[in-house]
Amino acid sequence: MNKKYALLVLSVLLVLSLLLTACGPKPGAEGADDRTKVVIFVGLGTGTDPHQISMQEELAAEFNASHDDIEIEFMIVPYEEAGQRLLAMIAGDTAPQLVGPMGVGSVAEGLEMWEDISPYIAADNFDMSDFYSLSVDLNTYPDKVVGLPLGLYPSFLFYNIDAFDAQGLDYPPADFNDTSWTFDRLRQDALLLTLDANGNNAASPDFDPENIVQWGYDDSWIDLRGWLAPWGAERVGSPTSADYKTAVVNSPEWVMGLEWIMNGIWVDHFIPDTAGQQAIEATGADPFSSGMVAMWNSHTWYMSEGLYDLSFEIQIAPTPFNPEGTRIARAHADIFAIPSGAKNKDAAWEVMKWLTSEENIVRVCEIYGCIPARQSVQASYVESLNTRYPGLDTNVIFESLNYIDIPNIESWTPEPARVMDVINNTQSLVMIEQPLTAQELLDQANVELQKILDEYWAEQE
Amino acid sequence: MTKTRRPLSLRQRESLLGYLYILPWVVGFIVLTIGPMIASLYFSFTDYNIISPPVWNNFANYRKIFDGLPQFIASGDTTVLGDPLFWQSIKVTVKFAALSLPLGLVFSFFIAVLLNQKIRGVNIWRTIYFLPSVLAGVAVTLLWVRIFNPRVGILNPFLENVLGIEGPGWFTDPNWAVPGLVIMGLWSAGGSMIIYLAGLQGVPTDLYDAAKVDGAGVVQRFLHVTLPQMTPVIFYNLVLGMIGSFQYFTEAYVASGGSGGPARATLFYNLYLYQNAFKFFEMGYASTMAWILFIVILILTALVFRSSELWVFYEGELKGR
Repeated sequence: MNKKYALLVLSVLLVLSLLLTACGPKPGAEGADDRTKVVIFVGLGTGTDPHQISMQEELAAEFNASHDDIEIEFMIVPYEEAGQRLLAMIAGDTAPQLVGPMGVGSVAEGLEMWEDISPYIAADNFDMSDFYSLSVDLNTYPDKVVGLPLGLYPSFLFYNIDAFDAQGLDYPPADFNDTSWTFDRLRQDALLLTLDANGNNAASPDFDPENIVQWGYDDSWIDLRGWLAPWGAERVGSPTSADYKTAVVNSPEWVMGLEWIMNGIWVDHFIPDTAGQQAIEATGADPFSSGMVAMWNSHTWYMSEGLYDLSFEIQIAPTPFNPEGTRIARAHADIFAIPSGAKNKDAAWEVMKWLTSEENIVRVCEIYGCIPARQSVQASYVESLNTRYPGLDTNVIFESLNYIDIPNIESWTPEPARVMDVINNTQSLVMIEQPLTAQELLDQANVELQKILDEYWAEQE
Repeated sequence: MTKTRRPLSLRQRESLLGYLYILPWVVGFIVLTIGPMIASLYFSFTDYNIISPPVWNNFANYRKIFDGLPQFIASGDTTVLGDPLFWQSIKVTVKFAALSLPLGLVFSFFIAVLLNQKIRGVNIWRTIYFLPSVLAGVAVTLLWVRIFNPRVGILNPFLENVLGIEGPGWFTDPNWAVPGLVIMGLWSAGGSMIIYLAGLQGVPTDLYDAAKVDGAGVVQRFLHVTLPQMTPVIFYNLVLGMIGSFQYFTEAYVASGGSGGPARATLFYNLYLYQNAFKFFEMGYASTMAWILFIVILILTALVFRSSELWVFYEGELKGR
């Protein structure tokens, strides 16, 4: 009988402990020493690489040592689960105080989630004039300002100097006025830089496309909008008309750009297909640092993630001119945003200001690889770039800012997640062998997209 | 006069104790299963994006799913459907179930029959065949994605060099993505195999003796003794396998990177449900899909149970008496 009652007491205690745990205080509200805690959720963009984590921890230690009232903590979440984790936290009333760094696309996909900071700006009489106007515009919506600009990530070409030297090729020109640097010339170079296991390049009749060991060009870390924005369409990186009511993915310029890419994958073989990308991933390195891609189109955020312990010399070059005769270098722009369901928003605002202040923005941007959005600190940022990447033509980075995509490749559309699902599905079709042409693929995507837009606007009426 | 309470009888005391012992499970079931089920039923009639409170929309979510279905059946044009991706996910899931279920049942049964033989080291073989079923789904899927890679994987070279067959693109080919997942699933057939093995070892040997005396050969003993005796186990694995194939998620998510590609060829029902909930912020619509899945699985399971009267034989059961 004693044993039975002991088990009974244990059962009741177990149930009570479960209930108490569920009803207990929520984490994150108070920091050590009763300081207000600001949790910074990192994972929707860059910031999750091991060396970035340690740099963020140092930043947090510095902030916490200098502030008596607020304590910050970086919460690093892998990108693959960051979206779901954040949603679960918001739904469970445990929203972090800040989320970032986060690009225009992530902001747009969850626009309702973010606090409007314009009242904070007005209350503090906060001076926004030092920020690049483009970076402010990208995060200003009709009904809210989502965050103070942190940084810009222009895009350009990273290239493997050793690969060019091995083929005896001239390097891509660094002169932004050199109109010989076109997508046609890039293709010619890429053909000669694409090598099979026997050393034959893709222009050779003996080339074996089933045994490629080095591809001439890759742009795989971006979606279809990013691929096609440089090709000069009227709406640049946006898949809709200016009033968001008409789908325009099958514009002649986007079709031309997609044809160039599809030929690059399936005819000329200088761009890796899905199987090729998986083969590169199997090396455990990113496409460029694996040494398997000679020219890599990416953004400055790649510099803080990928340019470590390279076995070859590199340099950077501008995005080529498109057949329209224009140059469009797509860009990302990051902010930290405050979830509208977060507690301690005043403290979050103070931390947001600290991170983007003149004194700290350079250091924060060094962690994430962005150009600081403040114009006044450019000189010190250039100095830090030259120290970290000696020999790199940093002029390419800043000059590329003059060719930014407007509308941006991540700009808001109605039903942004559904639109991106259509975009990504089309991209997946490009990467596999299938019978549709670029025109047919984009026409198909346009029909799907138009349906989404029509349904959205019907609901608004 | 004071009223004295009658003490509980021994039976009553033991019943009370029993209920108290299962109390943790009951509380957990109510709080963690029934409660969320009721909540999701409510959400299925709302527009709910997780961020804002749910807004009642009557049957709009259910209507969206079945909108345009008669026109689609008449014309075959998917653009008339309210949600073409819903029906694509049904198609992918049914295709997978139709392939994996019979293959899985037969394959695991076949392995169990082999491992039921009295051979040296059979326990080692049983362990080897069972091990894959205890490995984590994500790690296994990543491994198989590498094996199936048409460029650097080991499967296509094996097919070409040993069997003289040119291997397909597997997870890079919409026509072969689902068969690839089916093959991947067969590798983990050890879980069902163990259950079959237990069943095989429970078949009374006197039945085999009697069959031998009657002149039955190996095949006849298998067909007329082993199989009928194993029908309850087959039934059990069929029901669980059917439920599992309709709830298939992890492997499709990992193999396609969560996109359901290539070309939505791996857009399983649960994956599309997940996308609606966490990617498109449509938890209400995702709840609708969850309840439809629940009802479909319930109906199918009931049909299988009903059909079991025709083909499942329980030892000692006397039909017609």
